[in-house]
Amino acid sequence: MKIKKIVSMLFALTMVTGCMASFTSCGGDEEKTGSSSTASNNSSNADESKDDGNSEEKTDGNDFGGATLKVLTHRTDRIEDGSLKEVTKEFEEKYNCKVEYQGFTDYASDVSTMMSTDDYGDVLMIPDTVKVKDLGTYFEPLGTYEEMDAKYNWANQKMYDDTVYGVAIGGSIAGGLCYNKATWEEAGITTLPKTEEEFIECLEKIRDNTDAIPYYTNFKDTWALAQWTSLVNSASGNSNYTNELLAEKKDVFAEDSAHYKVFKLMYDVFSDPTLIEVDPNTTDWEGSKAAIGSGTIATMCMGSWAVTQFQEVAETNGDDPANIGYMPCPISVNGVQYAESAPDYNMGINIHSEQKDLGKLYIEWYVEDSNIAYNEGYVQTVKGSEMPEYLEAFENVELFVSDAAPEDLVGVWDQIDQESEVGFYLQDSANFKVRLCEAAFRGEGDEGFKKIADEINKKWNATRDSVLG
Amino acid sequence: MDDLLTVSGKKSKKTAKQWIQSYDGQKAITSIVFLLIPVALLILFTFVPAANMVVYSFQKRSQLGTDIEWVGLDNYKTIFSDSSYLMTFKNSIYYLIGSFIQQALALLVASVLCSRLRCKNFFKGVLFFPYLMNGVAVSLIFLNFFKNGDGVVSPQGTLNSILSVFGVEPYTWLGAETANFCLVFVSLWRYIGFDILMYIGAIQSINTDVYEAAELDGANSWQRFRYIVFPSIKSIIALQCILAVNGAISVFETPYIITGGKNGTTTFVIKTIETAFTYDKIGLASAMAMVLLSITIVVTIIQKTVFKEET
Repeated sequence: MKIKKIVSMLFALTMVTGCMASFTSCGGDEEKTGSSSTASNNSSNADESKDDGNSEEKTDGNDFGGATLKVLTHRTDRIEDGSLKEVTKEFEEKYNCKVEYQGFTDYASDVSTMMSTDDYGDVLMIPDTVKVKDLGTYFEPLGTYEEMDAKYNWANQKMYDDTVYGVAIGGSIAGGLCYNKATWEEAGITTLPKTEEEFIECLEKIRDNTDAIPYYTNFKDTWALAQWTSLVNSASGNSNYTNELLAEKKDVFAEDSAHYKVFKLMYDVFSDPTLIEVDPNTTDWEGSKAAIGSGTIATMCMGSWAVTQFQEVAETNGDDPANIGYMPCPISVNGVQYAESAPDYNMGINIHSEQKDLGKLYIEWYVEDSNIAYNEGYVQTVKGSEMPEYLEAFENVELFVSDAAPEDLVGVWDQIDQESEVGFYLQDSANFKVRLCEAAFRGEGDEGFKKIADEINKKWNATRDSVLG
Repeated sequence: MDDLLTVSGKKSKKTAKQWIQSYDGQKAITSIVFLLIPVALLILFTFVPAANMVVYSFQKRSQLGTDIEWVGLDNYKTIFSDSSYLMTFKNSIYYLIGSFIQQALALLVASVLCSRLRCKNFFKGVLFFPYLMNGVAVSLIFLNFFKNGDGVVSPQGTLNSILSVFGVEPYTWLGAETANFCLVFVSLWRYIGFDILMYIGAIQSINTDVYEAAELDGANSWQRFRYIVFPSIKSIIALQCILAVNGAISVFETPYIITGGKNGTTTFVIKTIETAFTYDKIGLASAMAMVLLSITIVVTIIQKTVFKEET
């Protein structure tokens, strides 16, 4: 009897779980239908706004007779706090039109779905799901590459057959060094270093003239060493650098390579114990954030993402956040400093739009006059325009975007990186970055560097040859 | 046991229902119900993954299990041919030597604590306390202890502060020269309490009559230790030493947190984890785990055979 009971209970249990599973899946379905209905609401809204646009007479010049321009954007935060609306008033008055913003939290996937219809606003951020060769089917051409490149940064990002379909709304810098402006000035440095020698001279000046730690290694946190890797492309000044290394089967640590230059610079700085903190083995990242704000640390190699963090900490500690500066990689190619940058979304115009002229004017206004990118701390799209305050050091630096890998080399770099256990961005204890630091701390000099560089070349080349065949 | 069997044998003609209602049946069902969950969990979370690991060690695979490729013994060949894998066992020697020192110290402290002493239990508590502490907490404490602070970003570490009272210059303890010794010290500090307790237990199990007789014969404390205590607890000491071998090859959390394996403090376990999760070579890492497992099994077999007669 009892066995039966147990068995029947087990059956009941499985039944219940089964039902639960089906219930949850029902719930899922419901949600899906829910979201699709909102999507259809959205598109019907779009219809309405478009009808409005049609009913209005279009006039020449600056008067669009109150036409409505619908803009799809990922910046829902700027819509919610009303700041986007506020800024756009200037545009609306100038051209006598109305700009209607529609925000998407999950922009790329929602808008990609909308693009299967003709209604996807007038101006929109081009989702990366649109393949480059399909740009012409969805977006209005904005000009030839030559025209656009003369005016704008990153003009080749949304381009096919020399026709440009999108303009970046702004961009960011890939790699550089954070420094405390006040401390650098106190040390008597007036111009930022452009070469490795100048950089080390600057650090020596800081050591001699101030109480600050010239460079803080953050050696205990291996990810902080990986920040040096993000300088490599900038140091090469070549948008096709990594692809060429692979295609031409060059040594990554050949003596003139950007990898060699960047890590040699790191090695040289770390080799001089007077330029870095006393005990790199027990560094404190959180503590270093506060210290660079107060100026007791002068320099750290960090991605530009760190700047906002440093500024926030400086603000809470009562230090001046404006003291946090960001300088380009102090390595020049033929006397020119380069910086790798990456654009944010590109804005394009719906090819089915009724308001193409107004759309073009809007994009122009957005990147040239609105100052939105500048106020948000982005690099501006218009060439030669003012950098955000913390990036002022990049004003005379040549910005470029790295080329995508050609089809036969897609993913190959990462595969070699991982299989060979070189790990340029990785953080294991036997990583070459860690070993370079250890050798530098032991004071092994140029020979120590050469030995590790040769080993990396050997490991890398062996794996590369087996991967590429 | 035999009785039970014959009883149930005789009554084998009982129906299932009757058997269940009987004492034996109730006992069996209760045991099964109570064991069901722990055994299921044990199988699910220990034996199945372990069996999988054996399989993985013959494969080349990533964390997500895509692109599985059978490579036979290649992973094992890599471990034994590429010196960078087995070299990490070198650091185990530090811990092994450290644990022998630890045994000696523990034995000394235990015999002191077994003599007539005030506040014995207080000292026992103090010495055992580190063993109860979380390994991460211990590691963070010692990170601050060994720190050579610059006084700018981080304050001076405890050890250097104390030494500066005696006029000693601050020293970078976790630098390449001394890092391993510091780490061994940490693990000694942490585990010695447990050894002391083991030895105290062993020493207290010696009959007090023997001591009294020895005392009457005029034996001093060293003689009592050498000729009474030591022979009585010899097997415990040997057992502890063999356990120390297992401990030394599987050191992980202390170096992982304090130095991150830098300055030549990597251990085999850290290397295994990095192989698996930094370089996404799950197959190779499984093979490394198998190597570690086999060493542990060998050591355990030695321990069992050596102590078979004595226990």
